[in-house]
This record gives sequence, C-alpha cells and structure tokens, in this order.
Amino acid sequence: MAQSKGLQEAQLQDISNRVLQLSQADHCRVRINSGWRGYTRVATNRITSAGGSDSISVNITSVFGNRVASVDTNRLQDEDLRQAVRRCEDMARLAPENPEYMAELGPQIYQSNQGYYQSTGELEPQDRARAAALAIEKAKAAEQIAASYMDVRAGTTAVATSGGLFASHASTGVAYTLTSRTPDGLQSGWAGDEASDWNNIESDRVAQDAVRKCRDWRKTGMEPGLYTAILEPTAVGMLMSRMRNAFNQRTADEGRSYFSRPGGGNLIGEALFDDRITITSDPGYRDAETAPFTASGEAVGRQTWINSGSLVDLSRSRFWADKQGQQPLPAPANLIMSGGDDSIAQMIASTERGVLLTRFWYIRGLNPRTISYTGLTRDGTFLIENGRISRPINNFRFNQSLVEMLQNVEMLSPAVRVAASENSSVSSPIVVPAMKVANFNLSSVSDAI
Amino acid sequence: MKLTASSAAGSALTACANPAMLQRTNAFTSAEKTLLLHAIDAARAAGADYADGRIIRTQFEAIGTREQSITQVQSTDSFGINVRALVGGSWGFSATQNLQRDAVAAMAREAVAVARANNEVAPSQTVLAPVEVFPDARWVTPHRIDPFDVGLEEKADLLLRANAEALRVNHIRFAASSILSVKEQRLIATSEGSFVDQTYFRINPAMTITAISDDGSDFQTRGAVVEPAGRGYEYVMGLDLVANAPRWAEEAAMKLQAAPVEPGSWDLVLHPSNLWLTIHESIGHPTELDRALGYEANYAGTSFLYPPEAVLGQTRLGPDFMQFVGNRTEIGGCATTGWDDEAVPAEAWPIIEEGVFVDYQTTREQADWIAQQTGINRSHGCAYGQNWQSMPFQRMPNVSLMPGQQNLSEEDVIAATDHGIFVEGRGSYSIDQQRYNIQFAGQVFWEIKDGKKHRMLRDVAYVGRTPEFWNALDVIGGEDTYFLGASFGDAKGQPGQVNAVSHGCPVSLFRNIDILNTA
Repeated sequence: MAQSKGLQEAQLQDISNRVLQLSQADHCRVRINSGWRGYTRVATNRITSAGGSDSISVNITSVFGNRVASVDTNRLQDEDLRQAVRRCEDMARLAPENPEYMAELGPQIYQSNQGYYQSTGELEPQDRARAAALAIEKAKAAEQIAASYMDVRAGTTAVATSGGLFASHASTGVAYTLTSRTPDGLQSGWAGDEASDWNNIESDRVAQDAVRKCRDWRKTGMEPGLYTAILEPTAVGMLMSRMRNAFNQRTADEGRSYFSRPGGGNLIGEALFDDRITITSDPGYRDAETAPFTASGEAVGRQTWINSGSLVDLSRSRFWADKQGQQPLPAPANLIMSGGDDSIAQMIASTERGVLLTRFWYIRGLNPRTISYTGLTRDGTFLIENGRISRPINNFRFNQSLVEMLQNVEMLSPAVRVAASENSSVSSPIVVPAMKVANFNLSSVSDAI
Repeated sequence: MKLTASSAAGSALTACANPAMLQRTNAFTSAEKTLLLHAIDAARAAGADYADGRIIRTQFEAIGTREQSITQVQSTDSFGINVRALVGGSWGFSATQNLQRDAVAAMAREAVAVARANNEVAPSQTVLAPVEVFPDARWVTPHRIDPFDVGLEEKADLLLRANAEALRVNHIRFAASSILSVKEQRLIATSEGSFVDQTYFRINPAMTITAISDDGSDFQTRGAVVEPAGRGYEYVMGLDLVANAPRWAEEAAMKLQAAPVEPGSWDLVLHPSNLWLTIHESIGHPTELDRALGYEANYAGTSFLYPPEAVLGQTRLGPDFMQFVGNRTEIGGCATTGWDDEAVPAEAWPIIEEGVFVDYQTTREQADWIAQQTGINRSHGCAYGQNWQSMPFQRMPNVSLMPGQQNLSEEDVIAATDHGIFVEGRGSYSIDQQRYNIQFAGQVFWEIKDGKKHRMLRDVAYVGRTPEFWNALDVIGGEDTYFLGASFGDAKGQPGQVNAVSHGCPVSLFRNIDILNTA
C-alpha cells in the first residue's frame, strides 16, 4: 500500500517530542497539521489554474500559571523550533493572566476511525484534469461554458501535551463543483459533490446535472413572497452548516442565543422543531469522517443535538462546563441530519404551488435571536404548479429564520453528503436530506443569473 | 475645482514612500534572492515561456480579550516559495516550504509540468501586457511604529482598559476587543528581470460591546467601531479606544430601547463606516474583469457590467459628480503597495468617471482583453496571492468614492433630508452573484426628521438594485467627511484566497431607498 500523504505517526511524534523537550514552560501543547492540497480550476472552457503544495505547520502553546500564548510556524529545523518555543514562552510570560485557561489534558481515549482514503490520497493531476476535460466536453456539446473546481486534500493532524497526551488522525477530502452557463449569460446551472473517498465523487453525474440545469433554467418573472419550497440537499446543507454555530451553551446561558431561556438558562430538553428533525455529529460517520479529538485533545464522540425535534444538548467548553458543574462537550465537527423516505420527485408531485431551489449564495446572519439568515438563490430556481415543474423563474433573496424552517418541514429525502461551502473547498462534512418546507420567505427578486 | 479621478490620484490621498523607511528594510538575504532566481531559472530550463516567483514570509500576531480576560495571544509565521509558469497559453503553479535548492528546482519544474499538462487538455492563448523591468525595487508600507515592536502587555492593557470603560455603562454585560497585526514580506522575481522586495504592514483593531435588557429577553451589540488599515501601530494609538468605549457602549444600550424601524421608503445618509462595504460589494466586485468574463462563475459569480464592449464608457451608474478611483497608492489603504505580485508598479486610475463606468481592474494577462475598448494596454497592477501557497490572480485594489467639491459637512448632508435614516458601521451584508440585489444593515441607526438626528432606530436593513441605488445618490460630503473603511477578509478564487482592501468615501445621501425591518 502506498504511503499516505502528510507526516506519518512516527514523524508527528518526533516533532511533538522535540517541541515538548524544548519547552521550559509549566505546560506545553503542540498541534501539527501536515498534508497536501491539489486543485484544478476551469473557466471559459479551459483550465485557468491548477497546482498543488505540501505544507506542514506546527502550533505551539506555552503556559506559565494562567498566562498563555501560541505560536504557529512552518519552519521545522531544530533551531527554528527552538526559536519558536522561546518566542512562544516569551509571549506567554508577558501575556496577562487568562482566568479561563484550563490545564492541559493527559492521555485520553479516542474513538478510532479511518478518514484517509488511498483513492483520494493517490489522486494525480491527470485525474483532476480528466474530470475537468469531461466537464468542458459536456458543456461544449451543449453550447455552454464550463467553470469548475476540484479541491483535493490529504494529510494528517496531531496534538500532544506535556501532560502525556498524544493523538493523531489522517484524513482525505475531495470537493468537485461545476457551473455551466450559456454564452449569452442568460442561463446557468450548478451541480456538485463532496466526499472523503474519491470513488464516491460522481464527476459524470455532476457534469450532466449542471449542463441539464443550465439548459432548463432561463428565467421568467416571478414575484417574491412566502412559498412552499423544495430545497435540494445542497441548499439545505448551506443553511444547516450555519445551524451548527447556534449549538453553544455559553451564548445560550448568557442570554445571547435563540436557545436562551427567558429569565436565564437555556432550552435544553425543550421540543422546539418538527418531530422529524434529528441532528447529530459523529466523527466516525462513513465518508464524512472527522478527527475524533479537538485542537486541545478532548475526545469527540457521536453526539445527538436535536432528537425528534427536541434540543438534547449544547456544546460546552471545558471552562464553561467547569463553571456550570457539567461535563464538557466539544462543538460538532460535522453535521448529520436524519432524512426521510421521500424523493425530490415525490416532493414535486405533492406540491400544488411552490419553488424548487438548487443552492444559495452569500448567506449572512440577520438575527441570532431567531437564527435568521439572508442570502440568494442561484443556478437553478423553478416554479412548481400542480405537481410539476412549470417553468424556470428568477432568483430571489431570502430572509428566513432557520428555527421556523425546521418547524415548517413537510417532507424529507434520504440524507447525502453535500458540497456546502460557498467557495466549494473541502469543508466540514455536512450530510443532509432534501427538504420540503412551508412558508419559505423569498423576500425580493434578484436579477442575477 | 472638480475632484476627478486623475486629480485625486495626485492629491493628498496618494501615498509616497518614505525613503528613510525604505533603507530600514532588509527583508530578504542575498541567499534567498539567489534561491528565487534559481527557481526562475529552473522553470525556464524546463520549458516555461515565462515564469515568476515569490518568496513570502507572512507574520500574524493576534491578541484578544473579553471583559477582563485574555482570550487569545497568538503569533503565526509562515514562509515558503512559489513559481507560476506559463507554457503555451496555460498557467501552472507550485509551492513549497522546503527551501533546499533541489526541492525548489523540483517545485519549479512541477509548475511547468502542470502548465504543460493543462495546455494539452485545453490549449489557450495568453498575452502579457508590457511592463517596465525593475531590477532592484523596494517598498514598505508607510508607518511610524512596527506593530511587532510593540509589547503584548501594552496592547493587552489598552484593550482591557477599553473593555473596562465599556462595562461601566448600564446594561453592558460583555465587551470583547482585539488587535490583529500583519507583516508580509515579499520578494518577487520575473523571468523578464524584475526583482521587487516589499514589506506590508496592516493592523486590525476591533471591539464588540453587548448590552442585555433587564429581563434578559433582548440583547443588542455595537461592533465594527473602528476600521482596519494599512498602517503601523501609531494608527491604533490614534483611535483612542479607551476614551471612545463609553460612547460605543451607550449606543449598544440605547439599541435596547430604540424604536423599531417602519419598513418603507426612506432617504439614507450613509456614514463612510457603513458605505465603504456597500462600495466594496456593489462597485468593487462588479468591476473585476476576470469576474465579468466568467472566471469566477463557479464561486464568486459574474458581473452585471458585461459584456465589456457594451458597458465600458456607456453604462451610467450614478450622477455626474460620482467619481470612483481604483487606487493602489492611497496612504493607509490595505491594498496599497509599491508593485503588485507581477512586478507592475502601483497606480491610481478612474473606474467610474462623471457617473459612467469607464474601466475595470486588471492584471497583465487581462489588460489585453479590453485594450480595444479602453485604449489601455498596461496592467493596472491588481495581481496578488494571499501567501506563499497561493497563485496570484486579480484582486481588488482600494476602490474609493471621491468627496464632493462643495466640501459639505456631515451636518450639511443630514440637513438635506426631512425623512431619513443615518447609518453608521457595517452590519449584515449580502449581495447576489452578479451584484444586483443588495441588502445591507448597519450598527447604529438614527432617524432624521426635518434635517436633524431625531431618535435611534433598530433592526434596519436597506435593500435595492445596484444601478438604481447608485443613481439615487444625491448629495455627498466633502473631503473632511472622507475616510477609509476596510476588510481583511475579501474572499475570491478557488482555492479561496483572502485579500485586504480599503474603500474611501464621504458621507453620502441616497434618495428613496427601500428599508426592511429585520427583527
């Protein structure tokens, strides 16, 4: 078997030990990220940029009492590391005390998972170029213009502490997205895919879907308003990736969140959403794996956040947990939303009047009290009438509370991993269903194509 | 005198490098210079028709606080080398942090191999605009105090004192503040013989204050109180965070009691602390030429300013007095430089002249794409790569709205409306992928009644369509109301890269803009 990309466990341990031995602080923590990133980008039916780079970065945290500082460096010779440790210790000595600092962890027990796929780690520039060529070929055949991006990452990460903790994890990821447009700029379609395992990337399906969406979507006028909306999985994922940020107990306890209980405390245990909504995170979820530890070495396991519409728990830092007399709970590193049995075709067939949305763009927070966001539809927006797609329509801006959206669910498809990042880079894995929801607020028309 | 783009370029808004500071710089050793030339030579020997490369060292230092606690003390130092190679008309790029000669040569050959492979899959034509050769160029961000020479204790003391002042105000429960300092050292070499050694300083002070209502049912924040800048630590000292913190805290507390805005049509008076971001999104981005021509279609989108031959010199975006300048020379600008990443000298040029769109932002490759329409065959010097791992491409210069010739004050502009809202500070912001549909909020909103600030409002967002929005510009303030807002996080490209950029503008009045209530 070929060696995986990034530093191997023995090398990670060697660097960690070198730093820890150089340390003269009360406590020290070392984090290492190493790996390779390759990419191929297409625009105007040609490859406009492609490249790759290896990188290793070492993050050192030095602690004297409650005085803490961190240094990142990518220089790894002995003298470089020595200088980085000294600089970090100098900074820590000068830093004011941090009353929220929690002592470094000792050895922990971690869930084991295999997030590294050789199929991805061994991907060559020619493989990426072939996917690009396929997209260009299909776009040209349809008299369209392709713009695509493939982002490939493979590497390892590790954390070690002066308390004897050491953890490492290897992972891979691929994100592939394609926008196909007509030369007159009046039609556009998008499709994408994301996986840890290259074998699960459907580059042919992506090319077909983007070209088909572009062919079908030439906008006709439509008024803004409250619509029954069928959100394809990517659209759901782009919103739900924001939902993760709200799962924080401290902001809830401090009165700064939707999950704040009026008068103090939080809403853990309350039924807040449609009872079909279940949200978990799980570092071992197949093809959506994440490291089973945090940057400070805390163990991360499978966690349910919302169960059948009820808030089960919120993440707590070690400081906040200690203050509240609770166990710490790391924030979700991926997001897995349970799906249902309905297909998008069934959702369309069941809809008298509504819209079908492909994906969103420029999503920004509006109001944390209602977890509401604004953003725009993009690259495939259609009107549904009497159980059928009746015509392509203009894009819209939405102003929507995610709380209300999760209360207004009507149908769910099986969940799939999606390319949920707006810039199409490999991101924290998001696994979500397509969703049919009532009263989705499309607040104004966007002329963009 | 009418303040046009060309006159602005020669005005006090333009930077001049301080020769004394240039002599202080010695960012790179002769060994590093030799190594970069070795990389360029290796690329040429491997068959590159053209190659350029950079050795880049990026240093960050961040100190963060909340209330009376330190939340972050972090320093980052990243150093590496890259090569961009042109074979036929296709680019290839490679980068490494391994500075051994053999590894650097292998990296350069890899860039050429990728370029060759790309050209075989999809052959392209690339014409690089001519540029003077600068064999020994140097530039440093004008500054008095290197932020990295200022102790952490001093920075922490400043932030904790500012937090303490904010926390004295009734209803204020949380106060967070931070200072992010950036130093970028760049050595650029081209196979045409240019050699440029530059050091950028940027600094981003920030503060967010949160007020909670008595019964805990509501909270309001006041953030974006100050702007990042391309300056030294003297900029932070001049902001007087400690003296101003109580005022920002009072504003946060007042937002708890502020009246909900009545949706509808209002005149808007936008303070530069709010308007700069609207400029960034609705003028800065749509005038990026690569975006307009489809190079960002899969991510950042395209532009309503397309096709070039139909819009250049023809599309009216505002009144006759509206002048926008692309400017990589403006003092204090985050995108201000001596030369760009292709060793093209910095310049200022008109983008919108007398209300009409006249030019895009360009790199060497792009100048040729519109030379027939603009009559300009030089690059405007807009190439930038985020760090040593990043391939340079077209990034936004400082794009600024020139102040009005009547030299109106903020009060004069406010007095020009009977039914308006005065908006300070950037808030939530979102715009579609062709830059038509805008929706922007802010930090502090004051109802204007009969030409005067009347009472505070809350939950305000203004919406519109870019061409109509800018054509609704009716009154602008003078040079005394002009200042630069900025972002360190202008995102574009795949892989995504961030760019730091500033936008200057005066206080400005827009007529009859749609207002939403975002509660």
